[in-house]
Amino acid sequence: MSYINSKRSVGDVFAGFKRQITQERVDAYAAASGDHNPIHLDESYAASTQFGTRIAHGMLSLALVAEMLAAEFPDTWHDGGKLKVRFSAPVFPGEIVSTYGEITEIEDSGERKIATCTIGCKKPDGTDAVVGRATVPLE
Amino acid sequence: MAVPLISTATVGHEFGPYDVTIPESRASAYVAAVGGIESPEYGDTLAPIIIVAAALTELIEDLGLFSGGLQTVHAGQEAGWTRQVKIGEKVSATGKLTAKSIRRGNHFATVSVTYSDSSGAEIGTSSTTIIVSGEPSS
Repeated sequence: MSYINSKRSVGDVFAGFKRQITQERVDAYAAASGDHNPIHLDESYAASTQFGTRIAHGMLSLALVAEMLAAEFPDTWHDGGKLKVRFSAPVFPGEIVSTYGEITEIEDSGERKIATCTIGCKKPDGTDAVVGRATVPLE
Repeated sequence: MAVPLISTATVGHEFGPYDVTIPESRASAYVAAVGGIESPEYGDTLAPIIIVAAALTELIEDLGLFSGGLQTVHAGQEAGWTRQVKIGEKVSATGKLTAKSIRRGNHFATVSVTYSDSSGAEIGTSSTTIIVSGEPSS
């Protein structure tokens, strides 16, 4: 068990971070994921959609949440970590989003301690773009 | 235009396998998209979300969701991993339509995906829920 994880307790709030979702980041995410849907990339096409402009990939916001979890649990997030989220609002290029999370429960099965966390990514107005839960082994 | 698969596929329909091996170029693009001073150091390994995203792109294409006239909302996502994956490591993804319903003319679909390494060992799972509205344009 890492020193950091051994000190974890219910109520721990994650540091989180802010990130501006620029169109350059959206373009790079399209190259990374292979998702070149014009609603993310083509302003003239996106203007004809329900959003009226381009939107970031939902998975880009989720990737930021995953980055936060990887930073909080560097030894174990990639070894048994799970997440479940819903995408509740679009993020528009130029917006600054904030990731957040908190440990709400720690279960000790005897073999492994598992932390349950609320997680999410908020838009500048405080509404959730992504919200859900994660479970992460602590050892 | 052909009817998109989202309209005709039934629960149990299988997708793939897809080769979702992530080369250095795509790993670098991911860092450019997501990275910042708070980001962990991945070295020669990948953030698992990029593999999920690569599989999702394949699924979207197979389901015909890029068809004109359709509007797709990515409603929910689950993912879990048992180990880290290296850049360029061969990973395959196999999907299955595990739920589908139509409400008020909108298709609700959930596709579950299993990720395997070159030995066939399972290294992760994911589940994607989408809502599709509209009709494909001709």
